[in-house]
Amino acid sequence: MNLFKKDLKKTPGNITLFVLGDMIGPEKNCNRLLHRLINPKSNDLQPWCIYGWWEEQILLESGYRGDQRAEALRINKGEEVVKSLTNAVDKSFLDWIAALQFGFVELDCGLIHGSSKDVGENLTLDTPPLTLLDRLTRLQVNRLFTARSKQQFHLELTEGIVNSEVEDLNGNRKKEQKVPQKAVIGIGAGKNYTLYDVGTDNTQFVQAGYKTEKRIKGFGRL
Amino acid sequence: MNQAVISCLHANLPAVEAVLKDIELQGITNITCLGDLVGYGPQPNKVIELIRDKEIPTCQGCWDEDVVDGLDACDCSYPSQLAEKRGHFAHQWTTDKLTTENKDYLANLPYSIRKDKCLFVHGSPNSQHEYLLPDMDAFAALERVENARAEILFCGHTHQPYIRELADGSIAVKIKNAVPKDTQEKEIQLPMRRIVNAGSVGEPRHGGTKATYVVYNDVTNEVKIREVEYDIELTCKAIIDAGLPPIFAWRLKNGFEFAEQAEDASHVCER
Repeated sequence: MNLFKKDLKKTPGNITLFVLGDMIGPEKNCNRLLHRLINPKSNDLQPWCIYGWWEEQILLESGYRGDQRAEALRINKGEEVVKSLTNAVDKSFLDWIAALQFGFVELDCGLIHGSSKDVGENLTLDTPPLTLLDRLTRLQVNRLFTARSKQQFHLELTEGIVNSEVEDLNGNRKKEQKVPQKAVIGIGAGKNYTLYDVGTDNTQFVQAGYKTEKRIKGFGRL
Repeated sequence: MNQAVISCLHANLPAVEAVLKDIELQGITNITCLGDLVGYGPQPNKVIELIRDKEIPTCQGCWDEDVVDGLDACDCSYPSQLAEKRGHFAHQWTTDKLTTENKDYLANLPYSIRKDKCLFVHGSPNSQHEYLLPDMDAFAALERVENARAEILFCGHTHQPYIRELADGSIAVKIKNAVPKDTQEKEIQLPMRRIVNAGSVGEPRHGGTKATYVVYNDVTNEVKIREVEYDIELTCKAIIDAGLPPIFAWRLKNGFEFAEQAEDASHVCER
């Protein structure tokens, strides 16, 4: 967290900080981080947080999703991990986590943890373009930022076409549909983060603590 | 071989009997039903028992699911509060009338049926509540079929029969900021896929009063939309006699489209 803060302080321009979920996990106590996100210091950027897969698991397990519990986590990782997760987060933070949004839409950009279909969906360079296009269409955005896969990538859908012919009781009609330019951006995870300049549509993939002055030139607004 | 696909029977026994008769007259024995056996109409038990007696493979529709699960129909499907109230009333009425045996039958229906390259669902492969309307985004429509690993997707739910072919598609992609640094570009060809909507037997919303279904020939790949007349007066009288909202009879008799559906084709119930 402190490495990010140091990096971002050096970055010129007006920066908006989005945190795309998985702020918590079972490995270590998350309370200090959550406290810092909720109560940023006076010189911190105000973080805009959404919930991720791990937040969804703790909400499930804590009864915030009706009768459902974190069964997928329990089956895949075991009871110990479920316990570790609930022990890692003080209950006083649960209402804040429960109030987090699924995602943000800023300008023509969607910011989500997994995909617009599912918080647990991995979008990667190997995801079929048709699926990526669908996830963009669901949010009605031209840029989709995703974190779930932990990968850093910037995949542009530059053009596309499909011919549609519909026959119904009124007759036949044909239509050619084209893809406007869109992109899906994997922002990374852990020490890796992404700077995005909405003016130039450029991304910069950064590892916290390793960013040089030269590399940040021309970037700044997230 | 010809096979018939029927959907959205909605407890309208005269319509179901007429359509089954029409199918029989064509010598078709292979029938698949896409659900919504109940809801709106006055004969839920008789319609279920007819489908059960004939052992017609059937998917679970959104009404079938809601009645069984004790959930009210998805609020967001209704165009107005009045329509929502009528829908809720019909749900409660249907729930009260259904026998335990028939509820169990609905509860155990599968979400989808797969036969070779064909997938049969009520709404979409994603949800029984998702509407695949005929003019929805072509790429999104293609995604529904392709991600379901089908070549032809048979659906209902909209009550509007149509055949949609999606062909000659491609998407070009470019990896920016790639590691190593060189930009990678490629063009992906999209497969030809079809969506076939069987319309509705028991509550048509295509602007006419006739029941609709489709006939698919799995050798020639031809699909034909069939329209069938039935004794509408009989159903309308049964609706009134049962104490169901008279507008349910009115819209059947007049053939006006009075679709109680979400306007957004890509909308998925978040319940």
